[in-house]
Amino acid sequence: MRDLDFVGKNVPRVDAEVKVTGDAIFSADVTFPNMLLGRLVRSPLPHAKILNIDTSVAERVTGVKAIITGEETPFVFGVSHMDQTPLQTEKVRYVGDPVAAVAAVDSDALLEAMELIKVDYEPLPAVFDPEEAMKEGAPIIHEGIERNIAANPRYDLGDVDKAFKEADHVFEDRLETQRVAHVCPEPHNCVAVWDHDGKLTFYYCSQMPSVTRVQLAKALGMPESKIRVITNHVGGGFGSRATSKFPMDFAAIVLARKTGRPVKIEYARDEEFIFSTFRHKFIMTVKTGIKNDGTITGRHITNICDNGAYCDYGPVVTNVGGAMQGTLYRFMNYRYDGYTVYTNLPYGGAMRGIGNPQVHYAGETQLNMIAERLGMDPLEIRIKNAVRTGDETATGAILKSCGLVECLEEVAKEIGWKEKRAHPVPNRGLGIACGVHFTGIRLSPGIDADFAGATLIVNDDGSVNLATSCVDIGSGSSTALTQIAAEVLGIEVEKINTIFGDTETCPMGWGSRASRNTAIGGMAIQKAAEDARNQILEAAGEKLEVHPDDLDIRNSTVFVKAAPSKCLSVSDVVRFNRYRKDGQAVMAKSHWDAPSQLADPVTGRGNFSMAFSYGAKAIEVKVDPGTGQIQILDVVASQDLGKAINPLGAMGQIEGGVHMGLGFAMSEDMVLDDEGRMKNNYLLDYRMLTSLDMPPVSTILVETNDPVGPFGAKGVGEMATIGTADAFVSAVQKATGLFLTDLPVTPEKVLLALKKKESKS
Amino acid sequence: MKKKIKLTVNDELHELEVENRRTLLEVIREDLHLLGTKKICDMGECGSCTVLMDGVAVNSCLVLAVEAEGKKIETIEGVAQGGKLHPIQEEFVAKGGVQCGYCSPGMIMTAKAFLEKNPNPNEEEAKTAIAGNFCRCTGYVRIVEAILSAADRMRE
Ligand code: FES
Ligand code: FES
Repeated sequence: MRDLDFVGKNVPRVDAEVKVTGDAIFSADVTFPNMLLGRLVRSPLPHAKILNIDTSVAERVTGVKAIITGEETPFVFGVSHMDQTPLQTEKVRYVGDPVAAVAAVDSDALLEAMELIKVDYEPLPAVFDPEEAMKEGAPIIHEGIERNIAANPRYDLGDVDKAFKEADHVFEDRLETQRVAHVCPEPHNCVAVWDHDGKLTFYYCSQMPSVTRVQLAKALGMPESKIRVITNHVGGGFGSRATSKFPMDFAAIVLARKTGRPVKIEYARDEEFIFSTFRHKFIMTVKTGIKNDGTITGRHITNICDNGAYCDYGPVVTNVGGAMQGTLYRFMNYRYDGYTVYTNLPYGGAMRGIGNPQVHYAGETQLNMIAERLGMDPLEIRIKNAVRTGDETATGAILKSCGLVECLEEVAKEIGWKEKRAHPVPNRGLGIACGVHFTGIRLSPGIDADFAGATLIVNDDGSVNLATSCVDIGSGSSTALTQIAAEVLGIEVEKINTIFGDTETCPMGWGSRASRNTAIGGMAIQKAAEDARNQILEAAGEKLEVHPDDLDIRNSTVFVKAAPSKCLSVSDVVRFNRYRKDGQAVMAKSHWDAPSQLADPVTGRGNFSMAFSYGAKAIEVKVDPGTGQIQILDVVASQDLGKAINPLGAMGQIEGGVHMGLGFAMSEDMVLDDEGRMKNNYLLDYRMLTSLDMPPVSTILVETNDPVGPFGAKGVGEMATIGTADAFVSAVQKATGLFLTDLPVTPEKVLLALKKKESKS
Repeated sequence: MKKKIKLTVNDELHELEVENRRTLLEVIREDLHLLGTKKICDMGECGSCTVLMDGVAVNSCLVLAVEAEGKKIETIEGVAQGGKLHPIQEEFVAKGGVQCGYCSPGMIMTAKAFLEKNPNPNEEEAKTAIAGNFCRCTGYVRIVEAILSAADRMRE
């Protein structure tokens, strides 16, 4: 291959200048002169029958323009389970379940009306613990769902019982992870606008506007052509915008139709924390068989996912962690029993890694515990069992590229693993972990598709308008996609205008989720760009009277390879092609479906993703035994991303992922009261690492050049966070001698455990 | 209760009539339609609404518009001059200090006030300066780098 001009280069973000000047318009900035504000009225009780809703007094408040209840929003929705309606009519299932919505001219009128809406409830027995909820006789949250088990995703591969018999040791451990919030900087928001033609324009801060359009059309019984969904710049998503947030959406849409005015609903920060979904709490039991030489013979993981009151992504979240833990090591005997269990609590959703960070945490932490118990080196156990390129894993994943071993070796080298372990320093510890995440996914049961789209037009002046289905939610995908187009076309990045997020100008895609934008979105763009390039070469060949195969394009110039001075500008070619009899435009479109398979519905086996990104983290900590304070001295993160289309952007993703992973490890925790009201739903109370807490991070990009993805690229964003908590907890163990298995591992927990240990000895 | 105030924003004088209890952030966004200044928390906990008031960085969600009467306000829209980015902005672009960009205006305003006071900061000082600014995307690594290299350039 010739040298690359754009791919692999640190091209500055295409949206950076508008973002540093304040010119970038986000959905939250969208406003109309006669716009009303809307808000949801929520249940104060965790489980109750609705006897009556009286809005008559509230309606008389000056400035209130409309109040709606569930009768006016008769829509049923869900991700995998259609278990939700926007505004409840029969019963509420968690504190916060919406029962009505108000539109008013300002927030004073809104708040006054909300207080005056009278709802009579009859409390029902509630259940707040998934293990209790699974017991016979527990209160039923959704009619007909036995023991509140909404879903039971399973993997049953090889023979786990036999594997445990063949093992020299079998260990079983229980580990828990907590709820953590996405904390998107831009709160969830939408604006609904109807025109007199009956067309709905929906401004929506989303990771998947084109899917939203399909869902809205279905629910509202409207043609898709009469709905336009527009997503502007997005202030972070992290999975929370990978589904439509229907109570808010439908409320705004119905209120706008009723009032004939645009209606905006935007969450306040305290609502955002709890009602925009979050990372589910998992309770996991991991059983692992291992031989004296360190070979893992098999693994059985049971996972109870505290789903909350509605499914949203819950069943998928429960499934994914299971899939990925069977795709990391070479053992072929694997069982996973996931339970997605309803409780009368707020509900979780998709969050960066979609269940995988939790299950990886359990699997990787237990492996570190086993290493400690058997006196083995956690690095060596991993290298011994690691999957490699060419493997077909227990889950049926076929690894066309896999840099796991290299990722492990690189972080170990960088952090000084061997030397530091050989010379331990009191109160200091070193931990390691690794992981894998997919690049797009097909999951059973589900739709057998994993696609993205692109359209591309080369203008008269040789500049390019490129429309992608992939929304850039901050990850930098638009920049990577522009680089791919530039490379294929031979046209400079600056001349390409990449747009996303308008269903009227952008093709449909399967959303900005599952780490799929660069690879799957990139393939769609590569295909469209190749088509456009061929069109340019054809036309240029005609004009220059040479065979198109003898031409190349670079720096917007089409030239004869053997005689580069014989050339034309792209602009000349486009104009030549257009302005003549029977002329043609240079334009192309593509829809690219990833070459993956739906897994077997019984065993869970299948090659469910186009590519798998591996990575490793090594962390060194210092613990103050007097206070329990944990200081992170160093973090090294490596990632096999196939090919770094934009190394600077990829490193930024990894650093951000580490930041989020450390929060999960050591401080972030959504604290609920005993009926599910969040107690720390403010930025200062919900403890995330600040600039001062953030340790240095060294990032190592491992390039394995995947044969499927564009220029060899695989996904980045989600793997970036996986493994961080696992390595951290192991480092704390080395520093303190304590395995604290339930996240987050806070100084308080460390101090308490140290005291307990002291009093015992 | 409404009050008449004069605000100089990005060197432009505005005469406004505002409710006493409205914040400077609300007036900047809703009355002056300067949408670059962002609101993440609306309670002084994130720094995204940072503007300069007589050169001092303040959370505009915590300042009443009437308190800004007669003051010189600078928002993110006033940082680039004559179509040219400020060195801090250029370094945020070049060093990868921007991801989703929602925190960027507040970060840049904070950094601007900081570098005017401390033109030669070390890493710890830069980190401390933005400790009140929340970012969910970057892990702060490249933001700190951008501020430090902007400082180098501004001293030249
Ligand atoms: S919006 Fe002002 S500090 Fe957060
Ligand atoms: S770049 Fe997204 S919050 Fe800072």
